[in-house]
Amino acid sequence: MSSTATRRSRFGPLFVAPAFIHLLVFALVPIAYAGYLSLFKLHLIRGQMHFVGLTNYGYTFGDASFWNAMWNSARYALMSVPLGMALGLGVALLVNQKLKGVTIFRTIFYIPSIASGIALSMLWIYVFLPKTGMINTALGWVGITNETDFLANVHWAMLALVVMTALNGVGPKMILFLAGLLNVPPELYEAAQIDGASRPRQFWRITLPMLAPTTFFVMVTSTIAAMQVFTPVYLMTKGGPEDTTDVVGYHIYQESWVRFNTGLAAAQSFILLAVIAAIAVVQFRLQKNQLKGYSTA
Amino acid sequence: MRCVLYSQVRITHALLAAFALLTPLACAPSDAPGTIVLHVANWGGAKEGTEDDKRVEDIYREFERQNPDVRIQEESVPQDYVAKMALAYVAKAQPDIMMLDLSSSALFINCGVVSDVSPLMQADKSFRQEDFFPNVFAAATRGDKVYAIPLDFTPMVMYYNKRMFDQAGVPYPKDDWDFAEFQALARKLTIKDKQYGFAFKNWPAGWVMWLWNAGGDHLKQDPPTATGYLDSRDCVKAVTFIKDLVAEGSAPSISQAAAAGVDLFANGQAAMTISGHWDLMTYKNAPKDANGKPKITWGDIGVVPLPHEVPQSQTVMYESGYAITSQCKHKHLAWKFIRYMTSHDVQAKYQFSGIAVSARKDVAEERARASELEASFLPIIPSCRPPYGSKVEGYEFVEDQMTKAMDSVIQNSRDPYQALHKAAQAIDREFAK
Repeated sequence: MSSTATRRSRFGPLFVAPAFIHLLVFALVPIAYAGYLSLFKLHLIRGQMHFVGLTNYGYTFGDASFWNAMWNSARYALMSVPLGMALGLGVALLVNQKLKGVTIFRTIFYIPSIASGIALSMLWIYVFLPKTGMINTALGWVGITNETDFLANVHWAMLALVVMTALNGVGPKMILFLAGLLNVPPELYEAAQIDGASRPRQFWRITLPMLAPTTFFVMVTSTIAAMQVFTPVYLMTKGGPEDTTDVVGYHIYQESWVRFNTGLAAAQSFILLAVIAAIAVVQFRLQKNQLKGYSTA
Repeated sequence: MRCVLYSQVRITHALLAAFALLTPLACAPSDAPGTIVLHVANWGGAKEGTEDDKRVEDIYREFERQNPDVRIQEESVPQDYVAKMALAYVAKAQPDIMMLDLSSSALFINCGVVSDVSPLMQADKSFRQEDFFPNVFAAATRGDKVYAIPLDFTPMVMYYNKRMFDQAGVPYPKDDWDFAEFQALARKLTIKDKQYGFAFKNWPAGWVMWLWNAGGDHLKQDPPTATGYLDSRDCVKAVTFIKDLVAEGSAPSISQAAAAGVDLFANGQAAMTISGHWDLMTYKNAPKDANGKPKITWGDIGVVPLPHEVPQSQTVMYESGYAITSQCKHKHLAWKFIRYMTSHDVQAKYQFSGIAVSARKDVAEERARASELEASFLPIIPSCRPPYGSKVEGYEFVEDQMTKAMDSVIQNSRDPYQALHKAAQAIDREFAK
């Protein structure tokens, strides 16, 4: 073994150690401990712990309010992920132009992503206000009188959250899609142009397939994030109206920190983990087949 | 390569050493040796240097002057107070004294988060329980055990704007009035697109009394049960009554109230509202009109008990009291501070802000003698009930379900019985966990 290799083998673990310790202390140990707690009927404040085995899981499986929350999360993900991805890709295509000052636009589109989720949620509350909100005021300018309280209406509350988070999340998706777009070899477009392919055809036959890995990454990470949405719900709707925005993250928070049923909340967290893992596995399988298809084309 | 590696290690060592040196400096206490710091937690917000803030600061500093070996460290927790205080207990990082809100006190009392102060009370010969309103003092007790000494409280009352009544030529409400009389007044005082007869807010603490005054009760206490109570005939009648008020335009819908973005009563857009004593501070700083005159002044305000269909008007009281935490290491000092804060002289100064009614009878009566508005609260006090949160753990869930039920009735046109029944079932499921 060379001296460089010896040094690497000696110091390598040292450099990895901080990240690993962080992961261990702040993720792996808490997850394992949550798994342990999920087997107990535990009232955090009383400190009473009774081993109940899988009872918390059994209770959760039969709890309609939990599955309503899970369904709300799924609805949220089904709407916000495609919308957010379409917006991210659309903006990425727009800022992927060789124009003077395009980096300024890229920066502007990214800025909302570095703003605090709390600040953004508070701002959007004013956008959705029934009479004085930005949306209803704008509608009023074009002669449409509307006083819908978007965040308190059973038909609009979830849509309002979806629109808000999709727009706020454009920045990171744009960056990822932009990186993907910049990696597409220009020769492909040149060849397509020589063959007389139109711009839409180039988009469908070159851009989208070449972006498949990026699209897959964005889809998986966005879906995971969507299933865990919490901040806008906590600040804007509190799960209402009529539990239509009681997403699973908020439901678990309420179970643990408002009702102090810590064991039950831990079991619910693990069920959420299993659901997200299952979704990710399905997405991986589908994507694998898709990529295989492209590679053989 | 080796050089780069070693320089990185040296930098890391230097940073760690600097951090190790700075950490104790950052945490070093600035108090004189032997000083005991009493940590006092409350749900107040950040200090803004107002006159009221300065008055409270002066009160603390005076205690420190009287007790040179003690420093009062106020810890304000403006958001999620219950969860954070509970977590502090679990983490064994409790303050010495915590403000106990009656509406969530059951959790802290029943779980041993706060300690029984009756031994300290008995040992202190100068302490007189009779100085306090009996129902206010009793709210944080369990038999002979006492878990908080009340500082101040408020009954929820009906405020009305005398100027609006005068302009409409209608008589002021009487102490003994019923729902129909209230509704008739609300209609007469409503001016479409300008003024509501009654400013309704979907906050259960502000409307639960309608259920009681209709003859119902939303919960059975032991074991906590809502089905058959929250969805009872009388409770449905009360919620239907509120729904009708909104439907006919005598009260704003939840959206309309939210859209206004201001307190409608303070803004001179509603003739009546239900709230606590604390809103007198809002009314004192009411918005001004185009001529720079406040839209409402204390002189415009009248206070009456709530309308009722039962023989005696019912209302709820919200109280804050000082409790000594179970992990407090200086219980005698904490008791000394509580005695100081609830003494006549300090209370007379503390309550000057007008935020609440002093829990001490003598101070409340002195203030009543000086102000007609303050005096109008006193007759309501004997009929005050503590909120269920003072006895039932997890009462926040009940209020949460009640908010949702009212929301669905007013905002989404649900049938009152169906909405209340659904809420009652959810509450029972929760308590059965």
